[in-house]
Amino acid sequence: MPANWSYVIAAYGIAAAALFGYWRHLARRARALTARPGAVVPHRTPRRTPS
Amino acid sequence: MTRVLGWLAALGLLAGVAAGFGYAPEEAVQGNVQRIMYLHVPSVLTAYLAFGLVLVGSIGYLATRRPLWDRLASSAAEIGVLFTAITIVSGSIWGKPTWGTWWTWDARLTSTAVLLLVYVGYLMLRGLVDEPEARGRYAAVVGILGAVNIPIVHFSVKWWRALHQPSTILGPEPSPLDPAIGLALFVNWIAFTLLFAYFLSRRIEIARLEET
Repeated sequence: MPANWSYVIAAYGIAAAALFGYWRHLARRARALTARPGAVVPHRTPRRTPS
Repeated sequence: MTRVLGWLAALGLLAGVAAGFGYAPEEAVQGNVQRIMYLHVPSVLTAYLAFGLVLVGSIGYLATRRPLWDRLASSAAEIGVLFTAITIVSGSIWGKPTWGTWWTWDARLTSTAVLLLVYVGYLMLRGLVDEPEARGRYAAVVGILGAVNIPIVHFSVKWWRALHQPSTILGPEPSPLDPAIGLALFVNWIAFTLLFAYFLSRRIEIARLEET
């Protein structure tokens, strides 16, 4: 029974590259959109500052 | 919430790799190449989940015309395409040492390729229509019709003579999997579901920002 590790590494490597690439794409897109002038960024609670 | 999902997904993926490569034993017939299953099966289950949400979002949009349903459908479709592509590529790599070929026009493989093309078409259609209401409406129709392909993909191995093995999980009979292999598969399935939830949460937020 051959080990066939090269196939396992190729499958996991390609999947990891695709998932990481998509994650980076989302992060870049979100950064670009929130950096626009006048962009509304919801769901952020402002941190309280001591008075 | 999104950040928590991201960390949970990262931890889940680490646990999945540990379970798939450390805990699960080497399979008796195929050897180590069977470990591709911990990537291949969770990917296709995640794709089913994604396209199921496209169906829900599409019906919701046609019924209410509220943009949040369209955002859910379009975001889930994009991520579903990613996981379907991973399923096809990992399956092809697994097929070479076990079947002796990268690709064959087997019912399961062909129907999965059609599934991918349908949702790539869905995304292309969205890119062609500028008016948001019309875009949402046309896409919703394709999103509903495209979902017909999900049971075809899943049951193709029962309905037609196929080279691809029958369903090991989600089948009518009790799973024949070794408990350790089953547990590793389950851990990876949870990890992929968490990763999907994280991607979906981020993608929906981006779709909302794109509309403002």
